[in-house]
Amino acid sequence: MPIGGFVISVDPDIREEIVTMLSEMEGVEVHGSDAKGNIVAVIDTETSEVMDDLVHGLQKDPQILSVGLTYLNAEDEIEKIVSGELRPEIPFGRKKKNRP
Amino acid sequence: MVMTRRDFIKKTAALSAASFVGLNLPFAKHVDQAGATDADKWVRGSCRLCGLGCRVELGLKGGKPVAIRGVAKSRTNFGYLCMKGMLFYKVMEHPDRLKMPLYRESKKDAFREISWDEALDIAAKKFADAKKEFGGDSTAYYGSGQALTEETYLFQKVMRGGLQTNNVEGNPRLCMASAVGGYLTSFGADEPIGGYSNIEKSSCIFIIGSNMAEAHPVFFRRVMRRKMDNKDTVKVINADPRVSPTSRIADMHMQFRPGTDLAMLNAMAYVIIEEKLFDKKFISDYAVFKSGKNTVDMDTYFAELGDYTPEKAAVICGGNITGDMIRKAARWFAKSNGTVSCWCMGINQRKRGVWANNLINNLHILTGQLCKPGADSFSLTGQPNACGGVREGGGLCHILPGHRLVKKEKLRNQVESAWGIPAGRIPPKPGYHTMAMFKAVNEGKIKAIWINCTSPAQSLPNVDLYRKGMAREDVFMVCTDIFPTLTTELANLILPTAFHFEKTGVYGCTERRSQITPKCCDAPGEAHAEVWIVREWAKRLARELNDPVIEQCVAPFDGLEEGYDLPKAIWDEYTQKLTKGRDSDLTGATYGVLEQMHDGVQWPAATEEYALTGGTVIKFAREYDPMAESHAKDDKPFQFYGPAHPDKKLWIWSRPYKGADEEPDAEYPFYLSTGRIIDHWHTTSMTGRIPELLRANPYSFVEVNPRDAERMGIKPGDMVELESRRGRVEMPAKVVEGPIEGMVFAYWHDMHEDRMINKVVKDAFDPGSKEPEFKICAVKVRRLSGPKRLTPYVV
Ligand code: SF4
Repeated sequence: MPIGGFVISVDPDIREEIVTMLSEMEGVEVHGSDAKGNIVAVIDTETSEVMDDLVHGLQKDPQILSVGLTYLNAEDEIEKIVSGELRPEIPFGRKKKNRP
Repeated sequence: MVMTRRDFIKKTAALSAASFVGLNLPFAKHVDQAGATDADKWVRGSCRLCGLGCRVELGLKGGKPVAIRGVAKSRTNFGYLCMKGMLFYKVMEHPDRLKMPLYRESKKDAFREISWDEALDIAAKKFADAKKEFGGDSTAYYGSGQALTEETYLFQKVMRGGLQTNNVEGNPRLCMASAVGGYLTSFGADEPIGGYSNIEKSSCIFIIGSNMAEAHPVFFRRVMRRKMDNKDTVKVINADPRVSPTSRIADMHMQFRPGTDLAMLNAMAYVIIEEKLFDKKFISDYAVFKSGKNTVDMDTYFAELGDYTPEKAAVICGGNITGDMIRKAARWFAKSNGTVSCWCMGINQRKRGVWANNLINNLHILTGQLCKPGADSFSLTGQPNACGGVREGGGLCHILPGHRLVKKEKLRNQVESAWGIPAGRIPPKPGYHTMAMFKAVNEGKIKAIWINCTSPAQSLPNVDLYRKGMAREDVFMVCTDIFPTLTTELANLILPTAFHFEKTGVYGCTERRSQITPKCCDAPGEAHAEVWIVREWAKRLARELNDPVIEQCVAPFDGLEEGYDLPKAIWDEYTQKLTKGRDSDLTGATYGVLEQMHDGVQWPAATEEYALTGGTVIKFAREYDPMAESHAKDDKPFQFYGPAHPDKKLWIWSRPYKGADEEPDAEYPFYLSTGRIIDHWHTTSMTGRIPELLRANPYSFVEVNPRDAERMGIKPGDMVELESRRGRVEMPAKVVEGPIEGMVFAYWHDMHEDRMINKVVKDAFDPGSKEPEFKICAVKVRRLSGPKRLTPYVV
């Protein structure tokens, strides 16, 4: 369950509109914004995949100029990977022919 | 109220983001008091991926990486990172990591695990046999702009001093060789004069051939901030055949036919002279005009620009370019208080890449937009250590460490003396450049090749042709890597290596800045740091060839522990013996200094005391660069002491417009260009294994202009075939107002045989820099079917 700290930058003229849009998205908490159009948000999702989908959606939005990350904690997920409970899902078969 | 651990982490994340924009959050004090319980140790290093060199701190818990954050005090990124930078550490624990040496005698066989002793013996014997039977030039090293400087340096030392061949190359030949050629021929010295901090002082930012919003997102953030905070006073020009996310912040997007930017840049120079926007004093103090081999005057240069009046150039350029637009761009460029040009592969990966670089540099010399805060001609680098390891450390066939040319005997002798090996040991002839090297592999002239940390079986242009050579039974191929790649699939011997933060070493990023990343985790299985591998291989090689000089190449490092002492000793030798007094002087940038810095040191930095200030922000300016002072030949404020121009002047080049090597015609009517997508990096051997990155862009697609799509009946998601004279691929279409009409743009990261675009791309290369023209070739485009379910693929 990763948690990321983000600075999302938009044109100051549409800051309020984007803050409202972000606040309504599941997993996104807006913690503040400034007059330059920087919006401080925390994204907290069930998996890194969901977080990445969310971030990609934002990056593709032409109104959003930049999505900057400052912090990411994926401890729970990594613990599960290390313990073998979670194997990173790569949804395709690898070539086995040349492997031992 | 008791805060749960999860609440605590969320608040830490919010505080981290808020601190970058100067916002105070109400719970700041509470979280500070709670202490940093999310990781028990934070270790500072660099991001492993692109050439920006963003500084990160890796959070460890029980010795395992669990969190990552940007370093707020680092001048490279001020704490910001992009998504792939945030996630790169996930590959460390990946189950696909190579953990044991793997070997097969014949490339038809399956690999079997072997011991390190056996592996190193085999590698030594095969290289020794090749040298004995066919000479040193039948062996080769092909390295990487991702290898640490210590690694590149040691590999090339053993190849040149030991095996006596200059067949030392690396993948930076594929990405920044034209920028090197441009800097050397324009300024007399490689690498940018300034750095990132010029952006915050600039008034005009000219972005050409770079989609920095996706390829260098953290740098783009700075550019975006500069523009948004100064909407009326800062102008951003984006010049590119393709409208990309970078264009979002531009005041003007100049969209031209691929390759015609040479005419456009000449036309900007024409306007600058015609309208007297040039800096007369700067030119007379510091510059000369060159046409071919001749030095000419400004009138002659201007007369040669006569074919590029803005109106004539606009006709050549096509797209949305008009004469007025070129005039406006030239005026913004010349009249601003500070202009920074930024470019990347769109300029470098070209048959005329050096010329394109020269033409950008020309604009800066003509207008004096150089050597002052806010002004620079700034080439962005794609890989984290293309500058540090390969350009500076001697990782190309024609250069020795410390920006020395192989062909100059005096410079070779300096290196031989520093290494304590006999004079004359390094051969005088430069080795094969990358395309020539793989051609020689095809022809069976190279019998043993070592490929380190890169995948030419996917990244070379016209790749199928060169895969044939790599697959030859009589070519022994060793690969050092962390994961299987399409290239390891063609190897005889695969040696597993330590990853970033599993070994210690230095990366030199785009802005001449060297930064250290220390070892803080163990590599999995029996993987070793490359420096250990080279040293142990060289000792065996010396025995096989009964050659004490090879032994001497690694003797200073014998017995040193591989995690820290060994790379430190290599760095010391390189910096203290081979950069001292050179324009890339790193004598002051010792491990001790680098470890103290939040970021690192920009060369030249001749003393530790000076290096501790961060080094030289602006080269050649006496106000900022002590070397400009010590090399001063008069009392002028700028001293261009670079090694390549004997007259110590800047050279303004007359360069005509020449089209691409392969222009569209009736049979292959479209331009094809290729590039990167945010979140994927190079051949996806790493980012393709991070599921969240792969899922976002599981395969390549091709961008088609809506008007072209309509003509061909292509709808979004339809499968489209791209065919050139060299090969064909098929991939889904994205119909988008991106590429100019008549051009398609494909992402190059995909490993799948059906979608690997480098099969289609042409292997023509720049005659000066030898960098291939990845960016332009001619293709047929055909709709195959409606949308199809595709399977993502990594080896
Ligand atoms: S911009 Fe480049 S160096 Fe910075 S975090 Fe992203 S990939 Fe890493």
